[in-house]
Amino acid sequence: MELQGSVTIPAAPQQVWQALNDPEILRQCIPGCDEVRQISPQEMHARVMLKLGPVRANFVGKVLLTDVRPLLGCTLNFEGSGGSAGFARGSSVIALAPTAEGTRLDYTAQASVAGKLGQIGGRLMDASARQLANRFFEAFKAQVTGSATSERPIAVAQASLSSEGLESTTAAPANFPIMPQLSSASSSPQTENWFDKEKPRLLWFAAGMACTATGVWIGAHWLR
Amino acid sequence: MKAPAFSYARPRRLTDVLSLLEKHGDEARLLAGGQTLLATLNMRLSEPALLIDMQSVQELKDLSVAGNCLRIGAMVTHSEIEASPLVARHAPLLRMAVPHIAHRAIRNLGTFGGSIAYGDPAAEWPACLLALDGMVVARGLNGERRIAARDFFTGLYTTELAANEIIVACEIPLATTTHRFVFDELARRHGDYAVVGLAASTQRNDGLLDQVRLAWLGVGNMPLRSTATEQVLQGQRLSDALLAQALETLRSELQPEADLTHSAAAKRHLAGVMLKRALNALGSMDAQASSAITL
Repeated sequence: MELQGSVTIPAAPQQVWQALNDPEILRQCIPGCDEVRQISPQEMHARVMLKLGPVRANFVGKVLLTDVRPLLGCTLNFEGSGGSAGFARGSSVIALAPTAEGTRLDYTAQASVAGKLGQIGGRLMDASARQLANRFFEAFKAQVTGSATSERPIAVAQASLSSEGLESTTAAPANFPIMPQLSSASSSPQTENWFDKEKPRLLWFAAGMACTATGVWIGAHWLR
Repeated sequence: MKAPAFSYARPRRLTDVLSLLEKHGDEARLLAGGQTLLATLNMRLSEPALLIDMQSVQELKDLSVAGNCLRIGAMVTHSEIEASPLVARHAPLLRMAVPHIAHRAIRNLGTFGGSIAYGDPAAEWPACLLALDGMVVARGLNGERRIAARDFFTGLYTTELAANEIIVACEIPLATTTHRFVFDELARRHGDYAVVGLAASTQRNDGLLDQVRLAWLGVGNMPLRSTATEQVLQGQRLSDALLAQALETLRSELQPEADLTHSAAAKRHLAGVMLKRALNALGSMDAQASSAITL
């Protein structure tokens, strides 16, 4: 499966890059993400609750960063496991470029699924990956735009700001019910410790999750 | 595999279903025919704490004519729709679509409301509801509301339905003598999910096409209407030139998503084939009608 896309974010590349390296922002933008743990400067693990259609599965994902070019982009290698359902792995490249309106973010991703997921086949794999990626970038755009106007970048209250910033019809209703739960989860002392530590480049994680998560998904589909 | 442990409730009244849903929220899943949900549970892709089975709620099983609409209760099964003389008379498009839905065993259990709530982009009922300008009747503890099919489906597996609401029925305007319907779909094997499918509805006024509705399944992340192509056909007489123009519009209008077996280009091509077949079928319906009159 291959996915590519581009979003324009009305903020300077500097801000976008910072946000992409901020685990708390990413955690809030990744659909259903409730935990991010940094293993090393280049590696992090995350737990995501994927909710789409009839599927509600917990997903454990691992992301490894390579080719990091500050303010320009990086490459993410990811793999995710959906327990007995199988696993997915892939990589994605992300690039930033300044434009008149702010920053253009181009992304591409390739992923493959294995195990039971692979046998089942992804009838809607592309569509689901795209949907998850869109949800991420809409939320991300809202976060960056929101933080540009406020002193403290990542307040929990930002959630309400984001809802005004969202233009996509799919992103707003889908993300909103999730936000409050995430915010409450973030107040646990354990998770805060991770986030206080130095900023990992969690960046790509989202597209990574988009692709891996689709795997789980597929499971729901062959069934008819 | 077997499903994870869950609690099970089988209320008899709709209000009990709604209160249970309100009380358990995200932990509960509604069980209609179970043809998607139970398989998902068995694969352990979903682990709800409670299943609320609606099988005993009789008021959801009603299939009747109410005013100028055919009202299909949410728990009416595909097979019941297939066998219903009311459906054959007032909503023939549904009758045409039923044979494409999976297989007998699934049609015996799967429900109309379940299919609509699930909103699979390749499923037959959502596209039919769209082509027929149907309404979804949703009820929550705060009351009932009607949502037009064109507003109901909002994205991949997402609908306008709120988390504490359930679909109680769908309403479909009764077909008149001037209505014409075509349903066609391509699948790799019979009963598979559609690669591309078309649910079409139109009225014929003095040989002109009117109120054209082309609803597609399998080409996007939700059931879609091709409104630009509908506009091309609106008020026109069927001809080869019109067909060519409609095909051209359709190919630029549809932006299909590739799946594992078909590229976007293949799907776009096949959609054109579906449209051509549908318009030809409409033409031959006219020919039959006029020869019946001359006789």
